Amino acid sequence: MSATAAAPAIPEPDLAPVDAILAGYPQTETSLVQVLQDVNRTFNYLPCHALEKVAASLGVPLARVFSVATFYKAFSIKPRGKVIIRICTGTACHIRGAPLLVDEFVRHLGIRAGETTPDMGFTLETVNCVGACAMAPVVIAGPRHHGGLSPADVPDVIQGKSDDD
Amino acid sequence: MSHEPSGRVVKIEIDGRVVEARTGEFLLAVARRAGIDIPAICQHEAVDPAGNCRMCLVEITKASWDGWSRLVTACLYPTEQDLIVKTHSAPVIEARTVLCDLWLARCPDSAYVQKLAAEFGIEKTSYQPAAVPTDQCILCGLCIRVCEKLGPAAIYTVNRGGRKKVAGPFEGPPPDCIGCAACAEVCPTSCITVAERDGTRTIWDKEFQLLACTTCGRTLVTIEEARYFGRKGGLGESYYQLCDRCKRLQTAQQATKVAGLPLTVGGLGEASGRPFRSPGSLTTSR
Repeated sequence: MSATAAAPAIPEPDLAPVDAILAGYPQTETSLVQVLQDVNRTFNYLPCHALEKVAASLGVPLARVFSVATFYKAFSIKPRGKVIIRICTGTACHIRGAPLLVDEFVRHLGIRAGETTPDMGFTLETVNCVGACAMAPVVIAGPRHHGGLSPADVPDVIQGKSDDD
Repeated sequence: MSHEPSGRVVKIEIDGRVVEARTGEFLLAVARRAGIDIPAICQHEAVDPAGNCRMCLVEITKASWDGWSRLVTACLYPTEQDLIVKTHSAPVIEARTVLCDLWLARCPDSAYVQKLAAEFGIEKTSYQPAAVPTDQCILCGLCIRVCEKLGPAAIYTVNRGGRKKVAGPFEGPPPDCIGCAACAEVCPTSCITVAERDGTRTIWDKEFQLLACTTCGRTLVTIEEARYFGRKGGLGESYYQLCDRCKRLQTAQQATKVAGLPLTVGGLGEASGRPFRSPGSLTTSR
């Protein structure tokens, strides 16, 4: 996975928010993870040039910033959709039908887990456990948690999120 | 070294020998001073110890520990009173053997790893060898620490777990790399490739122009390297115009020209105006 391979289709976003984020933290290496979290939240991924900006501003070598950006699962260096759909595939969710949900989302969105729709609307991800096993099977779509889903609910989850945006 | 042992002098026992050390001093340093061999791969005198390679594992115990003992990395374990250290006990050898076994699974083609594993009696890994042997890197991170110490900090590890590797930002040619090749110089498995051809050096997929000595034409450093260390060391652009051999010759000629002055070491130093040691001396052995 190289960032350059994913870059061509997606134009670099306007990086003005990065300056605002950086202004809110002390310009030291210790701010790095918090700044990256905010940048990741703003763009749903970490744009190349945003990483360069952060490195220069905090005085951290760019290679180290990239190292941190690729280390944590919470960060993505590949552009992701406006709504990130996370399907829990932990033990409880697995037993209660998570694999069926994955298949249904794959069928509806036309992408596999880890991929993003061409219109940048949705990113599909599987996660191991979201700590809400009592609600199994759980899907987190954007900011909203959905529990006790069946494959029949999948279009609603997708549609609902589309309406919100 | 940033780790300054400031403690009091105590006696510890290493492999049955009583050795004096200061509290806080790292065990590997103490053992080496006493001439006791502990293998260590990611250790280099130029950088602080990091405990990455785990090869320097030793068994420690104390008389008061009631037979209990544990394995620690000698390079990072601070000396304390009454410590009893075993550098080649059965648990230590077993731990090092497992390490070599795992490295051999990861880097089956590495001559260095093969030789190391053979020393522990392993000809063939007992683990599933890597399906596609990626490279011969054991991820000890010495290259990264040396690069950081020299200043550019151009490479780091990217990704994590099974996909972890050493690379530049965005896994491309590192923009901060100055082509000094110190990383390749210290790499235990020699897995960082440096190619020099027609006055250029290629490393990390980045091509550098080499600076030719204005007198003999020998190429030692890249233009970026000369500029970087020239600025960092306050040496000026002209410092690297001559190679080390020609510079010595020139200095000697200048010194002998100075009438009536005996050729002394102090005189040589003054005549050159600068010490011979370059800040990039890690790499001048090439």
